[in-house]
Amino acid sequence: MIERRNMMESLWIFPGQGGQHEGMLNRIDSDLKNHVEELLNLKLKDSAQAYQDSVQLQVGIALLQVDQVRKLAKYNLKPNLVAGHSLGVFAAAYAAGVIKLDDLFRLVKYRATLMQNSYPHGYGMGVIVGLERKYIESLVAKVSSTDMPVYVSNQNATLQTAISGNLSAIREVLSLAKNKGASKAIILKVPVPSHSPLMKNVSQKLQEMLETIELNRPQRVIYLANTTGKPLRQIIRIKQDLSDNVSNPVYFDTMMSVATNYQPQVILNFSPGKPFKKVIGEKFDQISQIYLDQMSIEDAAYLLGKWERKSN
Amino acid sequence: MEKLNFKFKGTEQVKNKAHVGVVASGDLEVIIKPTTNSESTLNIVTGSDGFKEVWQSVLKRFFDRYPLIADFEINDFGATPGVVNLRLTQAMEALEDEK
Amino acid sequence: MSKKNWASHRQAKDEKMQRVAPLLEGKFAKTSDVVKILERLLNSGDKVVLEGDNQKQASFLSKALASVDPEKVHDLHMIMSSISRPEHLDIFEDGIASKMDFSFAGPQSTRVSQMIADGSLKIGDIHTYLELYARLFIDLIPNVVLVAADKADKDGNLYTGYNTEETPVIVESAAFKDGIVIVQTNEVVDKLPRVDIPGDWVDVVIPADEPYQLEPLFTRDPQHITETQILMGMLAIRGIYEKHKVQSVNHGVGYNTAAIELLLPTYGEQLGLKGKIVPNWEINPTPTLIPAIESGWVQSVHSFGGEVGMEKYIAARPDVFFVGKDGTMRSNRAFGQMAGQYALDMFVGSTLQIDKYGNSSTVTEGRLSGFGGAPNMGSNPTGRRHSTPAWQSLKPDDNPLGKGQKLVVQMVETYGANKRPVFVDKLDAVEVRKEAKLANVPIMIYSEDTTHIVTEEGIAYLYKTSSMAERQAAIAAIAGVTPLGMTSDTATLNDLRNRGIVALPEDLGVRRTDAKRSLLAAQNMSDLIEWSKGLYNPPAKFRSWS
Repeated sequence: MIERRNMMESLWIFPGQGGQHEGMLNRIDSDLKNHVEELLNLKLKDSAQAYQDSVQLQVGIALLQVDQVRKLAKYNLKPNLVAGHSLGVFAAAYAAGVIKLDDLFRLVKYRATLMQNSYPHGYGMGVIVGLERKYIESLVAKVSSTDMPVYVSNQNATLQTAISGNLSAIREVLSLAKNKGASKAIILKVPVPSHSPLMKNVSQKLQEMLETIELNRPQRVIYLANTTGKPLRQIIRIKQDLSDNVSNPVYFDTMMSVATNYQPQVILNFSPGKPFKKVIGEKFDQISQIYLDQMSIEDAAYLLGKWERKSN
Repeated sequence: MEKLNFKFKGTEQVKNKAHVGVVASGDLEVIIKPTTNSESTLNIVTGSDGFKEVWQSVLKRFFDRYPLIADFEINDFGATPGVVNLRLTQAMEALEDEK
Repeated sequence: MSKKNWASHRQAKDEKMQRVAPLLEGKFAKTSDVVKILERLLNSGDKVVLEGDNQKQASFLSKALASVDPEKVHDLHMIMSSISRPEHLDIFEDGIASKMDFSFAGPQSTRVSQMIADGSLKIGDIHTYLELYARLFIDLIPNVVLVAADKADKDGNLYTGYNTEETPVIVESAAFKDGIVIVQTNEVVDKLPRVDIPGDWVDVVIPADEPYQLEPLFTRDPQHITETQILMGMLAIRGIYEKHKVQSVNHGVGYNTAAIELLLPTYGEQLGLKGKIVPNWEINPTPTLIPAIESGWVQSVHSFGGEVGMEKYIAARPDVFFVGKDGTMRSNRAFGQMAGQYALDMFVGSTLQIDKYGNSSTVTEGRLSGFGGAPNMGSNPTGRRHSTPAWQSLKPDDNPLGKGQKLVVQMVETYGANKRPVFVDKLDAVEVRKEAKLANVPIMIYSEDTTHIVTEEGIAYLYKTSSMAERQAAIAAIAGVTPLGMTSDTATLNDLRNRGIVALPEDLGVRRTDAKRSLLAAQNMSDLIEWSKGLYNPPAKFRSWS
């Protein structure tokens, strides 16, 4: 009789900007780092000051995540589901075998450059906790104008919604939200109105670049889309998500709901930071988790192996 | 983390101390002490922000049904209103027992 | 005038079977040929039953179905009691199937919502289990059925054992109406322990590359039962089980009812209720029932399906469970649902939302979950005439021709997960119906069938209310501090209490301070193993100590 096999299904989560810190590239494989620096003609400084710069920051985070994916692959560890948040989609696509290494870094550098140049100042993002998205939409509708546009953007958890646009307009929405019982309403340290229609130009240029890149259909991996939360297997849709996420809300909340439908048994959280603790807690009932920010790849691989044996 | 304070009128002066509940996620502890004041004072520390109105409702209902006068100290670790009510009414029962 | 062909279906089946003849040896096909077999036996547009309920899944065949060439096979009309696995929906994304009739979609509910919204999934109806099985013989007669067996012999006889579940009803609907029966089997043996399905009804048997998926759905670790649930369990035992002298019951999946099962040998014993209530059960062999069985509370248990880890225990208790001569349990989902609807005194379940009228649903915004057995068991078959004390106790006093009623109990905490109120003005299901263009609002249990609601506040005896206004007042009175609950005042509450329509813990002699975890007959999984005398063997994910 055949044995009841029980491979642990794993969800790999790749955060975007926010958790970066000086020295985060210390443990990166030096060959990989040199290769990327040469490829992009860019010296990665890995300092707090350097991370004020979009290109340093985005390439740095992508490098950190790609390095982790490659090290895990040496232990034969691969994902069943990948979920990237914003910038995180590129390492997610890499982990899913969709995009090649060099293409990824060229694309990320280009994206960062475009974003940096699109809104030099006066624009950004805010976050509101404790109010329903529909209600926030009504507040935004009251405030937003052609001169001072603001949009409802990312849905990070059930009651955790971002807004993007003109900073004065954002401040106005935040103060309305506070008056209406939001438990938190603050400006985020993001210098551009990401994930709003104000970034349409960036998406368009990324689309053009993606047309010149060869992508592969993911094999036995589901890619969760930022822009819809849907599970994707087709290249054409993944490509669209890679280019369009910057000008559309990230429905991370929905992505995680969809992820539960695939019943993963373990979540691997890639660096930097741990921004999704709340939403993961909401969606998954007691799931085994690993934070690569706090653990070496060797230890993570050991733990995964141990859990795998236990589940059999 | 949020600190909330409430005052409620009552008619029954509490004579003894009571302590119910546990310090655990999804639960809370309630400490009740006799007071010389003429109304109940509640000091609440809660891990879940933004639920002031719900607290107001839970407490109003409790004091409507059981008009105690005492000092209440509540440490909340994300309990649902149902659990809050359970702990408050358990404390009330514990006080009754000692009468 | 040409002669009418009265056997066109048989002819169509023969033609299909000719196509696969080169791939068959007797009834057997090679594991590696499974996709080819499906491509040759499925015609585009066929009605196909894919076996899969909330426990057992024909997972080898569902994966194979997801791998067929959509150019060759497309627009299938799927009939499934449960949409449980990702590939059940992948086949719609790829165009292999286009229409779905189902009962339950819990594990895939977010994707079901998304795919209905973007048009890739067309829904026929969301049925109760019995409705779906019944329609297999009326207007959803399948062309092909894909089912799972534990063992098959050389003649295609099948052993389905503990997890017989819905295999017989599905196979029957095809076997006698020129449908094609395709079976995946975990194992091929010379001699079966017993025959659950005769080989004569089976067309093709394919050895699977791995055993069918089996979910331990009804296993609840007592460790997670809260004191609020224990309080509600005590209220239910006193205010419902004891009051109505309930003899037969089904419990839904949930910690509320697990708490009741674990309170019978302790709290129930203290109340002197042993031998007086719930000797007969229609329920899956849920491990939390072990202490009640071991302490002599339970006379019989019939089950819809099996439960992973309970095999040895069941085999050792044939007086209680339905067990074959071979020593393994036989389950049957269709008969179980029938018993659940017609033979029981009471159904006790839980839900995600209850509206102000008392309608309840587990369908919420963005989650089209469908329902399991609840709509069958949680409804009152009006043609029934029962003499049990419980059924009779709901008979109106003022009508000599009046009938009794099944007890349908909903147990909910007033606020659920995310601290959202369970009691709502309007069910999310109303909006979902519009978005998904469904014929009916996906209500799980209708107000008219709901006889009791239990919350941590108390019990509302809805069957005693004489108008909708009074019913609403009774619901609001136990709805805590939800917006609906806040509409109730102390005067109304006390009036309802005086008239026995609402009972608070103090009215039932239940002390809240007694609601402690130490009152549970088992506190954790190892206690359950101990109660079972080592016969229960929980699945790995419930063994936290190893």
